Amino acid sequence: MSEQVHNRLAVVRAERKVSRQSLAEAVGAHYQTIGYIERGQYNPSLDLALKIAKFFGLPVEALFSLEPFRPLTDEVYGRKQP
Amino acid sequence: MTTTRMTSYDRSMLRLMNDPRGRSLYATPARRRLAVAAHAALTAAIVGLFAHFFLSRAEAIWSAVVVAVLLLPWMVAQGVINSATRGLLELRAPALDERQLAERDRVLARAHRITTCLLLLAVVGLFVVGDADGDALRTYAVSALVGTLVAHFVMPSWVAGLSAQDEPSEDEAATL
Repeated sequence: MSEQVHNRLAVVRAERKVSRQSLAEAVGAHYQTIGYIERGQYNPSLDLALKIAKFFGLPVEALFSLEPFRPLTDEVYGRKQP
Repeated sequence: MTTTRMTSYDRSMLRLMNDPRGRSLYATPARRRLAVAAHAALTAAIVGLFAHFFLSRAEAIWSAVVVAVLLLPWMVAQGVINSATRGLLELRAPALDERQLAERDRVLARAHRITTCLLLLAVVGLFVVGDADGDALRTYAVSALVGTLVAHFVMPSWVAGLSAQDEPSEDEAATL
């Protein structure tokens, strides 16, 4: 079972200026785990994914998806995918 | 990591295992491999000296002294491995998060498979030696038993040390 779950955690974390350490402390995880999730080397449990989404005040599907995410600028400015 | 279930001991161990001092000692895969190799060599030397201590009691004193001296660098190497794995095998479950608990299970399973193979080799080796010379079996049985016991004890550390990955850099987020 190695289904890839895509995420935009790194982008959102950078945009909100949240360090891995403070996010990890808020959701009860190790800061390395946040790094592994960002690098796609670890798929979080539903519990952890929901905690991360709650921390950022976003729906979980804004952070995690089974399909690759479109670039944020495309979503914001509405550029159509080729 | 369930902070509400952590005792003060867990918290102090968690701080110790995540102490950033000495991070340069295990920052790269090559350095982690070196620490594991040094630990394995020191363990082999200590077990070898124990075997010598057991087999030739007349010269027991010097080998006991050398074992005592070797234990110090052995503990340093063990500390480097523990720090490299962030206390994966040392911390209690409440101090580990879901990924670390899963990683610990993987490490223990892999170490168990390896030591099972070592145990099989030791048993086969003792049967072969015993078949050739009955006295040899009696001579080497204790050494083989101690060697495999020690391997069983330290194998999870070696597997965890070799499985540990590089620290993700904080500015990776900015590049994504």
